[in-house]
Amino acid sequence: MKGSLTLRVTLAFVLIVAASAAGLGLYLYHAFVGEIVRRDDIALLGKLRQVQQLLGSPGAQTLLRERPQYFRDTMSGQENSLVRIVDADGQVLLDINPPGERYPLPPAVAEGARPAVLAWTSRAGAPGQVVSVTGRLNGQQVRITVARVYADRTAMFVRYRRQIVLACTLAALLAGLLAAFLLVHGLRPLRAIAAHAALVRPGRLDSQLDSENAPRELRPLIDALNAMLVRLHDGYTRLSGFSADLAHEFRTPVNNLLGQTQVALAQRRSPDDYEELLASNVEELERLSRMVDSMLFLARARQEDVVPERQALAVEEEFARMAEFFEGMAEERGVLLDCAGSGTVQADPQLLRRALANLLSNAIRHASPGSTVMLAAAQVAGETELSVTNQGDPVAAHDLPHLFERFYRGDASRSAGTGSTGLGLSIVSAIMAVHGGRAEVRPLPGMTRFVLLFP
Amino acid sequence: MAAMHILIIEDEPKTGDYLLRGLRESGFTASLARNGRDGLHLAGEEEVDLVVLDVMLPRMDGWEVLAALRAHEATARLPVLFLTARDEVQDRVRGLELGADDYLVKPFAFVELVARIRTLLRRAPLREDDALCIGDMEIDVVARKVRRQGKPVLLTAQEFNLLHLLARRQGQVLSRALIASAVWDINFDSDTNVIDAAVRRLRRKLDDPFTLKLIHTRRGMGYVCEAEPQA
Repeated sequence: MKGSLTLRVTLAFVLIVAASAAGLGLYLYHAFVGEIVRRDDIALLGKLRQVQQLLGSPGAQTLLRERPQYFRDTMSGQENSLVRIVDADGQVLLDINPPGERYPLPPAVAEGARPAVLAWTSRAGAPGQVVSVTGRLNGQQVRITVARVYADRTAMFVRYRRQIVLACTLAALLAGLLAAFLLVHGLRPLRAIAAHAALVRPGRLDSQLDSENAPRELRPLIDALNAMLVRLHDGYTRLSGFSADLAHEFRTPVNNLLGQTQVALAQRRSPDDYEELLASNVEELERLSRMVDSMLFLARARQEDVVPERQALAVEEEFARMAEFFEGMAEERGVLLDCAGSGTVQADPQLLRRALANLLSNAIRHASPGSTVMLAAAQVAGETELSVTNQGDPVAAHDLPHLFERFYRGDASRSAGTGSTGLGLSIVSAIMAVHGGRAEVRPLPGMTRFVLLFP
Repeated sequence: MAAMHILIIEDEPKTGDYLLRGLRESGFTASLARNGRDGLHLAGEEEVDLVVLDVMLPRMDGWEVLAALRAHEATARLPVLFLTARDEVQDRVRGLELGADDYLVKPFAFVELVARIRTLLRRAPLREDDALCIGDMEIDVVARKVRRQGKPVLLTAQEFNLLHLLARRQGQVLSRALIASAVWDINFDSDTNVIDAAVRRLRRKLDDPFTLKLIHTRRGMGYVCEAEPQA
């Protein structure tokens, strides 16, 4: 009941139709009853006037006394009409009352005035109406009372009520059936969506739902579902690409480990050789371990699992720390480090250092000997820009858009043997993303500049 | 001082074996339990100074072992270092909340484990010596001056910090990660060339002019400062 939209809407529809049909029926019934009652009252008053006129005609007294059945026949006519004429002394001159009914006597009004119609109930339980006026009989004042019992009328009303109830019920049922049919028919596009959605699985994320032929009301839903499918497809492709890349990247170190160990074991060797082998294995394993760490970091950053603990960091201090850290390496490569700029940046200290360290280690590696690697800070359009610039061979133009992609190595020969995981710049990019900022590369004549933009 | 006794609770056979062997060779006595229940039993039986506990254990997992250790009066204050392969924040928080003293995420460098164990076993904070003497080298920690054979060796602030770290932990192999963290507060996997370059620079000033070398590379592990290289 709770779950079915069709059932709920159908029930609501049935209720609405039943209520409106009942309201209409009630109104019509009341109008009909009112009209019947009004007509009956007019008829009753007409009868009263007839009696009055009859009494006013000559010889009425004689007629009344000698031929009361005349009144019965002409005045009453039907059995359910009751007539009573009483003179001023209280003597009953005429009483036509076949079943011997007792009815209340309304106050008699003077001739010419409109008498009040009083309702009563007969002994048989049928409703009755009674009117009473004063009239003249031979100059004498008499009181004329006319009453009537409407046994047929009640039965007719009951029949009429039943018909109305029946009509309401039928209308409601019909409406329910119609509503159910329309809903089942109208919800067909939804079932089509469900059927399509049931077919969606990892390999088939690119199939889109058809929104052309769908009703206009469902198009936003279909478009939203399609957008979701696109995002899922995107994420899925990226993830499978990720694992494929990972497996591929693991091949080289695993191959080295396997190969050099098997070669070493092929014959007896000196302890020094074994030591050499083990140390070389450790290097490969460390490379694998670093790769695993970096991949985990990237995966977590993408899942928004890395929450930066932002604090205001003095740029000068951070630059100085980095310059100190890289001092030895720069010196060995004949590269100078130069820091410029001050101010503060809102960032997670460990993540900022990691990003700067990755950029600096790249910059020093690719800087021409004798040149200077520059660390600089600037405020540009409300953003804090931290940049690392090195002089040296520029990055090839076709490499630029891919630099921040994982495992992208612009020049394979450059990174060979450096123990680089090919993930450094991806990590920089991920770190900036969790800060709500971005990382950019800007080629300059004879220089390469990497920029971290903090919002 | 008698050798410290370390209980290793680890079900993975190779990991257990190399931990046992490595810790024994690092100057500890050690025993190995292959599952949580045996480990808990041994912790109650033996004089244990520290427990190295793997989290993923069959039947009774590391968390249960840790909770049971903490629940017993005799083992309530026993230092516990847990090993986990799942580097999830919740895991680390859970371990530390349950009363573990430290943790390492697999894969870890063996020297890192030894360094952590030494730190945990040090009941009182390490007394900072004002002067250190290794071979013919004297370090005046207060004045930040270094002499070899009585002749001053001029070092930059960084080189001094690096040497001081190695000298304080004389005879212990320090991993590159530990050095980066202690000297530069760099707590992530950074370019290892940076540390190597820094050490090479220090050596050029400290060791190159002399026949007795004090700073030694342990390939695949890190660096150690000692007067007599191990035979």
